[in-house]
Amino acid sequence: MDFFLLLISTGLVIGASYGLIAMGFALVYKATGVVNFAHGELVMLTAYIAFSLTQIFGLSFIPLMLVTIPISMVLGLTLERIFIRPMLGEPVFSIVMVTIGLAVILRGVTIMIWGPDPHNLTAGVTRDVIRVFGIPFYAAQLMSIAALAICTTLGWAFLRFSRIGISMRAVASHETAALLVGISVSRTHAMAWALSSGLAAVAGVLFAMNFKLAPDLWFQGLKSFPAVILGGLDSILGAAFAGVIIGLIENLSQGYIGQGLREISGFIVIIIVLMVRPYGLFGDRDIERV
Amino acid sequence: MKRIAIVAIAALATGPAFAADPGVTDTEIRIGDVNIMTGAASFIGRAVSVGSKIAAAEINDAGGVNGRMIKIITEDDGYVPSRSFQALSKLIEVDEIFALNGTSGTANVLAMMPLIEENNLPTIVSTAPNELVYDPVRPSVFTLGASYSDAFYAQLKYINDNVDIENPVYGLIRQDDDFGVAVEHGYNRAVEEFGVEDAARIRFKKGTSNFSAEVAQLDRAGVNVLANGGIISGAANILSEARKLGMDIQSAQVWSEDMPPSVNLAAQAGYDYYVADYVALTGEANDAFLETAREYVSEDEIEAINRYTYVTYAALHAMAEAMSRCGEELTRDCTIENLRQLEDFPVGGIMAPISFNNENQLSGTAVSVYQLDADTQTFTRLTEFVDY
Repeated sequence: MDFFLLLISTGLVIGASYGLIAMGFALVYKATGVVNFAHGELVMLTAYIAFSLTQIFGLSFIPLMLVTIPISMVLGLTLERIFIRPMLGEPVFSIVMVTIGLAVILRGVTIMIWGPDPHNLTAGVTRDVIRVFGIPFYAAQLMSIAALAICTTLGWAFLRFSRIGISMRAVASHETAALLVGISVSRTHAMAWALSSGLAAVAGVLFAMNFKLAPDLWFQGLKSFPAVILGGLDSILGAAFAGVIIGLIENLSQGYIGQGLREISGFIVIIIVLMVRPYGLFGDRDIERV
Repeated sequence: MKRIAIVAIAALATGPAFAADPGVTDTEIRIGDVNIMTGAASFIGRAVSVGSKIAAAEINDAGGVNGRMIKIITEDDGYVPSRSFQALSKLIEVDEIFALNGTSGTANVLAMMPLIEENNLPTIVSTAPNELVYDPVRPSVFTLGASYSDAFYAQLKYINDNVDIENPVYGLIRQDDDFGVAVEHGYNRAVEEFGVEDAARIRFKKGTSNFSAEVAQLDRAGVNVLANGGIISGAANILSEARKLGMDIQSAQVWSEDMPPSVNLAAQAGYDYYVADYVALTGEANDAFLETAREYVSEDEIEAINRYTYVTYAALHAMAEAMSRCGEELTRDCTIENLRQLEDFPVGGIMAPISFNNENQLSGTAVSVYQLDADTQTFTRLTEFVDY
């Protein structure tokens, strides 16, 4: 089988994971102007919740997602209500610090509840190898790619056509103006957290199915962050696309050059792109009149 | 007044020398344990802690060390070296421990080393058998365990000598750190000695999850004997990718891969991989140990038992033996001297007999090679404990 195609196919798989996680980051940033540094921990926590659901109720993948996503959205809403809402109007730096504190808490709580041992999360999905045009995949890998495509399409449609999506864009564009036309900024913020947590559930479950469930899963949040920067912090679809780009670059650089280049190749690309487009590939250029 | 002074001086002059060393009373010996009780690596700390608990309970049940009961005091370091130093400071200053039997990871024990040396603390390092710990040798520090280098050499030698592979092609994948260097050292020794084709050497960063490109490289190089230096999820993900590509490999693994959670992850790929370990994973010694354990610890603690439990259990027995040989006058100097003289001290077959009477004060270097049956998730012992 062609080495290049193999690297591309597996690059798409890890890129899809990065993209799904990055979309959650971008969604909260777009609506609230805050980088949620606890997003990686939400990805981990929701994956563990899904693991417990499969252990207790023996749910297969689709029912599992139908249960896990709403639970995650409620979790996101709760966290926003308890930790973020009281900070409304405070400097962004303070809110970011709250998310960092929240991240540490979520990491601790996860290990306290589920322990440090790693687990397999299969959710009834076959472990047989499936060949697509001769290229081998596990079913969960194909599901990751499909999930990114579905979430990207739904995300685009949501922001473009739905009332909440449009109000979210309005808040992101000009918070005061949005308030003046009757949009509830706090409700929009809460909705962003809920949707972002829903995306975290999709990302977390699929990542755990492909790469095992362990308490260091939160680290994927940091690994996905370059995709958010590359795509443009305020571009949800850009983050998804950039995740795929980072995944492909990582795999190709490791495959052809190797010796750990995977870890730095994404950052090299980001530095180059940001030097040319400081607002990312798809981010909005921020113009201030002085 | 003069009479009181004379009595006091006489009492000091005739008092037991061991009174100068903290951590020992007429009824008790306090042993410290700095360990990883929280965080992602806490499965190691829990296992270590259970090992100490079983050994202490067993020793105390048999009358203690010359009538003194062993009391274990555990401090959590969360696998953070600076916290290890703080934890040991607390154990020395507040709890006044006599000795140390639980030292966390390599960087952690190195962080604690100044305190250990300054206080002449009898210490058995049982979870970090790294060269940095025993070379240069510190007078009060004794190390238990084989090197990763020997463990990998042992497995590759077994494969070379016993497994019929047409055109063997060797490959290595390892972390880009000290641990990975040790793995590569054993691999180097093997490929040079066996004169086999060395087709690929791949390094990766600690914490890597996605090994698809690395395994594709191994596949392209035609590797069929793999030194897999991944740990836990990493090792399992490497095997999972290899299975996806249909690679027919004999895989030598790190001893962390004989622990139940690791086996649970890695067996899914279906490879009957090898491990080499300096503790017994199967057999009568193992069964006897578990039977003893059930007498002293809860079912939850039994669940936490893994290879680290056995090593720490053996280490505390060795420490108790050295203290016991001091008789009533228990001092750190005497304990250290007795540890230094320990030779072929039996530990129930859960590892090779302990001998610290060598220039590195190092024991437990003999390893056994085991093979996993991926279907039943059980190991078969392939060799006895052998020094390589």
